[in-house]
Amino acid sequence: MSDPVLVIGAGVAGMTAAVELADNGVQVVLVDRKSTIGGNALNLYKAFPTDDCFYCFEGNRWRPGIRKCFYRSAMIDQPNIELMTNTIIQDISGTPSKFTVKLVIGPQYVDPKKCIMCGLCVEVSEAFALESPQCQPQAVTYDPSKLDEGAKKAEQDCPTKAISLDANPSEKTITVSDIVLATGYHEMQPVAVDEYGYGVLQNVITQLELARILDPNGPLGGRLVRPSDGREAKRIMMIQCVGSRDENYYPFCSKICCVFALKHANIIANERADGRVSVVYMDIRTYDRHERYYREAREAGVEFVRGRISRVVSTEDDTLEITVYDSLLDKYLRFSIDLLVLSSALEPPEGLDEIIKTLGLKTASGYVGPADAASEDEVVVGEHVYACGGVLGPAEIPESVNQARAVVSKILQGRK
Amino acid sequence: MPSYNLYMGCSVPANYPNYEAAMVRVAEALGMELNYMEGVACCGSPNLRAFDYFGWLVVNAGTIAIAEKNGYDIVTPCNGCFGSLKDVLTHLKHHKEDLEKVNVELKKHGLEMKGTVKVRHIVEAMYTDIGIEEIRKKIIKPLDGVGIAIHYGCHLLRPIEVTEFNPEVLQKMVEVTGAEVIDYPLWKQCCGATVLPVNEELAIRLARDKLKSMKEAGATFVTVVCPACGNQLDLQQIGLKDSYGEVYDLPVLLYPQILGLAMGMNEEAVGLEMNRVPADPILEHLTE
Amino acid sequence: MTETEERTGPPETLIEPIDMSKLDPKFRKEIHSMPNAEELSACFACTTCTAACPIANQWNYKPHQLIRMILLGMREEVLSSKEIWECLTCFQCQERCPQKVKVTDIFFDCKNLAAEEGIIPPNVLALGKSLIEKGQLYEVLNDWEREDLDLEAEVPGLNTDTIKEILRGTRTGRLVGGEK
Repeated sequence: MSDPVLVIGAGVAGMTAAVELADNGVQVVLVDRKSTIGGNALNLYKAFPTDDCFYCFEGNRWRPGIRKCFYRSAMIDQPNIELMTNTIIQDISGTPSKFTVKLVIGPQYVDPKKCIMCGLCVEVSEAFALESPQCQPQAVTYDPSKLDEGAKKAEQDCPTKAISLDANPSEKTITVSDIVLATGYHEMQPVAVDEYGYGVLQNVITQLELARILDPNGPLGGRLVRPSDGREAKRIMMIQCVGSRDENYYPFCSKICCVFALKHANIIANERADGRVSVVYMDIRTYDRHERYYREAREAGVEFVRGRISRVVSTEDDTLEITVYDSLLDKYLRFSIDLLVLSSALEPPEGLDEIIKTLGLKTASGYVGPADAASEDEVVVGEHVYACGGVLGPAEIPESVNQARAVVSKILQGRK
Repeated sequence: MPSYNLYMGCSVPANYPNYEAAMVRVAEALGMELNYMEGVACCGSPNLRAFDYFGWLVVNAGTIAIAEKNGYDIVTPCNGCFGSLKDVLTHLKHHKEDLEKVNVELKKHGLEMKGTVKVRHIVEAMYTDIGIEEIRKKIIKPLDGVGIAIHYGCHLLRPIEVTEFNPEVLQKMVEVTGAEVIDYPLWKQCCGATVLPVNEELAIRLARDKLKSMKEAGATFVTVVCPACGNQLDLQQIGLKDSYGEVYDLPVLLYPQILGLAMGMNEEAVGLEMNRVPADPILEHLTE
Repeated sequence: MTETEERTGPPETLIEPIDMSKLDPKFRKEIHSMPNAEELSACFACTTCTAACPIANQWNYKPHQLIRMILLGMREEVLSSKEIWECLTCFQCQERCPQKVKVTDIFFDCKNLAAEEGIIPPNVLALGKSLIEKGQLYEVLNDWEREDLDLEAEVPGLNTDTIKEILRGTRTGRLVGGEK
């Protein structure tokens, strides 16, 4: 029997690759450094282009379950998938088709097989959290840096004895035939772009942070409020290309931020009472069919200002006084804003450069580049090494899924 | 014999009776029965639309309502009247609530608009109802291929969903006379007539650009189907001599004048001497 | 807009931004409800209208800027602009607009709003006066010209009473009457 395939990253791309390989009888080890799988998509609330997370797993409809949970349930139900969360790659050695991979598995503070998500621990200690009611694995998570008295009590009182605060990390070495990189992208924390005041002014946030605020399953139950005082946020401004198309940060267009900014603008304008949104942009890049988001936004009354922000000043009551240069009018406009949302660049995730170095892969602006730039096989990034989704550069969900399927096809062809 | 409601508007009868005379004679020769509409006056022009939209609706709906009494289509030689009437008709057909309001006003004058007649430019009626082949049969003195630039006029061409006018119509109508239609870059451009009341200098400049473009493309004559456009392109040539020191010498003929001449009418019948830039050089291009 | 306010001390910054809170956010809706302005908000400021306009190079506010100003709520600036009255109504902007914004028609709407507030160039008002008093913009003065062409001296069927009466009851009447 062949060695399993290692899939690194259990986001949309990694999960698709894992499930479809497993469905074809291939053994898969799926690792993710987080305790809960789903990657960035987990926190997107409504994902384009369907305003749901339905589209990407259309082919998996036969699986039991609904919406967010149904594809993740496959991770547990599919016997050919070994899911390892809270796990990082320590080292990769060996040769293509016979890689030796050393994994470090973080301490298993909560045993997902025992956890029944009753919420007792979450009530008594801040160290425990329920990421999402539909999280996979179905278990609470524990953050050891927040250890408190309540945590100890929770350990004692847990009805299924699922908690073990003195759990230790463990190591495991596996041999795999192929490696699939699906580590996704990371949203840049734009502290260095100081004219916007991110990291200094509480009411200046990023788009992914806004998605969490808007999500009815998120920490605020979907209430659109200002982080500084919890008061309702009515006047929202978004600014595009923060760190993207900027030689000081990332020279590339992050491709999907225009669309998800518009998606958020539409949600606010259409679903939140009195929500008024202004989008400051230099180009709106709603590629192919996503133009409809732009058109819908204008119809919903979202205000578009072509230009850049001159300055952001916070007033005593945490309202932001923002001056914007409108390049179409050649005038400066002053807005009073509750929440400034930065469409921050999407950057390669931490640690990707090491993997790239270890495997001797090519790079493209920090992301993984195809092994042969001239070929059409963009998912083939090395000998028996493949990549799909955001790890190849910012990608939307359908694109990530297509790339994952291309990877599956390549691996299956290789095994014939 | 097709019958029509002839809506003259105010400009043609007052300023361009030669246009009126040529049109009436040509239509008669083509077998069209044009009946001057009773009880109508001015359409108000785009100016009325600018400061009194509702008044403009009522005035033009009134004209349409009068035509509906006998049911014949309205034809007009003026782009301004054509644009106003057709725009109002289109608007009221699609906005029933406005139609109701308009009819409340019209009722005071014993009128009601329903939207059962068409509004047409006289040239389009000639082209569609008589047909280019029938017209060709009447050409007895064809032009010798002399180059003529067509100025269609904005309100004949746009907005297309209102005017529904195909530029090919006028092109074929000019070609049937034996003339060559001269393409020129600024064919879509405005003559400047509308801006006359608020900025004469600008109006003159627009007429100049237009004439320059025609001349450079090799036009010997110009033809128009609107008194306002005709006025701009014809009369302003005299002004251009003073303001720019430029002489264009481009006779501007109202289209029925050309057709009439080609059909064998004499220059008096089509009122050629009333054209500001002497238009009689056209006679040299008629073949016997 | 802000001029009426008392200012104390030196200006805060070198640039004096337009204060968005002083603009009229209802202006957009007001125009939107007028004839043929349904697609107003579809504008994405591509500037096609300005590229199509034969005279925009003469204007302080270009067509795309006027639309932006409407969307931003700059009511006063739009309605008092000379540009809306200089619009040729040639419809080239409207013909080319990739978002089907009826630019020319929207400028007609602006002119109607301006006129309602009494902002109307004297030469245009004179046309209104002519319509009210004579029922026509042009009258036949040289009837011999018509007779020379075998046309009736008077235009057959002409009746100016109806138009005069209609316009006395609409805005034209108010504008012309208000002038006296």
